[in-house]
Amino acid sequence: MEAPPVSVMPVTGGTINMMEYLLQGSVLDQALESLLHRLRGLCDNMEPEIFADHELVYLLKGQQGNPFLLRARRSLSHPAAPWHLRYLGQPEVGDKSRHALVRNCVDVAASHSLPDFLNEMGFRMDHEFVAKGHIFRRGALKVVVSKLSRVLVPGNTENTEPLSLSSLVELSVLAPAGQDTVSEDMRSFAEQLKPLVHLEKIDPKRHM
Amino acid sequence: MSGGGPAVRVSIESTCEKQVQEVSLDGMETYVPPLSMSQNLAKLAQRIDFGQGSESDEEGIEAEPKDPQDWGKTEAEEDEATVKFQPSLWPWDSVRNNLRSSLTEMCVLYDVLSVVKEKKYMALDPVSQDPSAGKTPQVFQLISKKKSLATAAQLLLKGAEKLSKSVAENQENRRQRDFNSELLRLRSQWKLRKVGDKILGDLSYRSAGSLFPHPGTFEVIKNTDIDLDKKLPEDYCPLNVQIPSDLEGSAYIKVSIQKQAPDIGDLGTVNLFRRQLKAKAGTQPWHVKLEAAQNVLLCKEIFAQLSREAVQIKSQIPHIVVKNQIISQPFPGLQLSISLCHSTGEKKNHRASPEKPKPDDHLYVLEHNLHQLMREFHKQTLSSIVMPHPASAPFGHKRQRMAGPMAYDKAEISSMQQNEGLLEKIIKQAKHIFLRSRTARTIDSLASRIEDPQIQAHWSNINDVYESSVKVLITSQGYEQICKSIQLQLNIGVEQIRVVHRDGRVISLSHQEQELQDFLLSQMSQHQIHAVQQLAKVMGWHVLSFSNHVGLGSVESIGNASAITVASSNGEYAISVRNGPESGCKVLVQFPRSQSKELPKSDVIQDAKWNHLRGPYKEVHWSRMEGRNFVYKMELLMASLTPCL
Repeated sequence: MEAPPVSVMPVTGGTINMMEYLLQGSVLDQALESLLHRLRGLCDNMEPEIFADHELVYLLKGQQGNPFLLRARRSLSHPAAPWHLRYLGQPEVGDKSRHALVRNCVDVAASHSLPDFLNEMGFRMDHEFVAKGHIFRRGALKVVVSKLSRVLVPGNTENTEPLSLSSLVELSVLAPAGQDTVSEDMRSFAEQLKPLVHLEKIDPKRHM
Repeated sequence: MSGGGPAVRVSIESTCEKQVQEVSLDGMETYVPPLSMSQNLAKLAQRIDFGQGSESDEEGIEAEPKDPQDWGKTEAEEDEATVKFQPSLWPWDSVRNNLRSSLTEMCVLYDVLSVVKEKKYMALDPVSQDPSAGKTPQVFQLISKKKSLATAAQLLLKGAEKLSKSVAENQENRRQRDFNSELLRLRSQWKLRKVGDKILGDLSYRSAGSLFPHPGTFEVIKNTDIDLDKKLPEDYCPLNVQIPSDLEGSAYIKVSIQKQAPDIGDLGTVNLFRRQLKAKAGTQPWHVKLEAAQNVLLCKEIFAQLSREAVQIKSQIPHIVVKNQIISQPFPGLQLSISLCHSTGEKKNHRASPEKPKPDDHLYVLEHNLHQLMREFHKQTLSSIVMPHPASAPFGHKRQRMAGPMAYDKAEISSMQQNEGLLEKIIKQAKHIFLRSRTARTIDSLASRIEDPQIQAHWSNINDVYESSVKVLITSQGYEQICKSIQLQLNIGVEQIRVVHRDGRVISLSHQEQELQDFLLSQMSQHQIHAVQQLAKVMGWHVLSFSNHVGLGSVESIGNASAITVASSNGEYAISVRNGPESGCKVLVQFPRSQSKELPKSDVIQDAKWNHLRGPYKEVHWSRMEGRNFVYKMELLMASLTPCL
């Protein structure tokens, strides 16, 4: 079935336009323990939260050049939790002095029939991976340390192999558009994690 | 030997003198047989003292006079030696050797003396001798002992000096207390971080889940304004903390319930007398300061939350927020005031003493509850329910995330949200506390005023913030086992009191004080009638009629009157009692017809048996009746009307 023409437009009206501020870095597995200790001390005083997620990336190829990308993620450790569908826009090209990557973000919770629904809509799964790690929070700041693994047989999340010998560290904040003080807080927090991990804004376009 | 003279022939022969052993009678001399060589040797050897050291080390000058001794000795020794090694030597060999050696020595001596006398080749100078060397050994010992003692003393002194120096240093340290060690102690209790060359700390509750925008940073500075020459003060601390200026001093939240203020003019001027913070002995001054500042911050946050809710939440009677006070009306005629009392400490004199005589109506329990509620709110933002699974989802309550997939409607979503704020909770708690204290006061006042049926209240120890319970018993003194039909369980809620009667009735009373009082009074009057009923059972009287709410007689303003009629066991007498909360009790006794005098003789009733029926009533002067309470009097009355068998 041919995909119907889709015009890619940002979501407007009805909801607040949420932006995601992102800083990324990586840490070798040997240094993971010390990073976790550091984060435990710097972040809010809670029991460390472990997660195991399975993410599927769906693409909708329209007639135009850029395909439309949606990320569907479910929790392996909490099977009853709803799926999470996410759209991430292009990173905003603001002034270079902004310390974090800013992009439009739409988050939707979905029921367990999401993959079927996306397939019916015309999306095709591009790739999937399993992410396992820890989540920390500090106020509105979220720090996710995850080890990414490749799924060998599509659909089988038991059989995985790690993608690399390091873990991905992401520092993110969801804030309405226009709050620039958020990136300052993120930068000062990232300073405190040096030299264990260097968090910086990584433009995904340059690496594609 | 030099010198002239013809050589002299020396002939040596041994003296053959033998000792005479015995002269016999015929003149024959028996000589002692001469000692053989070995015997002679033995004899001489016996004379040698082998213990004495040989003095051959001494100067040759002294050797000469001892030569013959030596001679003997050496001869003996040599003899011995020759005996050991060469037994067949010439016997005078040793003698010759000794002579020769003595000759040598004499020659040498003579040479030395002649050289010394000539003073041409050698001169002798007296050597200055150490007088101490020649002195007696005792003095030497003394000197040596003195020297060794001096060395030992020096060592000990050095050690003692070191010890005393370290002790002094320790004391100095304890008083002076290194900045770094103090900083370490500070860091073990408070969050610190280094920014540039400044040390900043965080005393806010942000890491514990607070969302208050105050940063709460304090700075650690070194205390350098000390005069090292002067003695350091007892509470000297090398570390000082600088807290933000708006957190100085101490603060607390005062919650109080008063009668409604007649005028609105004096709002906002709440007394702010300073509560002395008792610092534990041994705590650092910076700790006290930081704790006080943290308390001020928490009080500010609580008050900010309360005032925000007071303004936003719509309630029937609006709350008034004036300066540092929030006023609301829990009940008509009452005023609940929550105020933030913050004193900075300098204006000590302004604390007005006219406030002191006012009784302290500060409800400490509610202040404590406010703190606890705030902390619970902090904890909620930190609970793991908020953490997203999957990890890319935003933070938020787990339930709210289900709202989309499960298609919740508005009613369900609003029911999920927390609709009670801090202010509402505190007002509810205050209402309950007030209602409970008023109920207790009502019961106690009744108990003290009315003696006849006694009222007892058993308060439950375990309460809720919104609910308490009390069990009220109405009894008569002396008859507790018989008359226990009125037992009430009062559940005091936030706005009303629920009464559960023993017989199963459930009544809701409002917060009005009068309602409870009236109800208790009506129950007391009912109790008297119930008591008569129980008493009749015990005494063997029959209950003819009983009514809790009698419709006859005057109308009571409080409750209803109750009445009972009991007849004696043989039926001759009957007692009727009517008791009302207002009208008191009225007792009438019915006598048999035979005893009454005022009954006219009638033609209708001719048979004598009708005289046994009960006739007219007579009222009893109850107040003149003997007995300390109603039931006792009733018992006496019944007893008097029961005929003795």
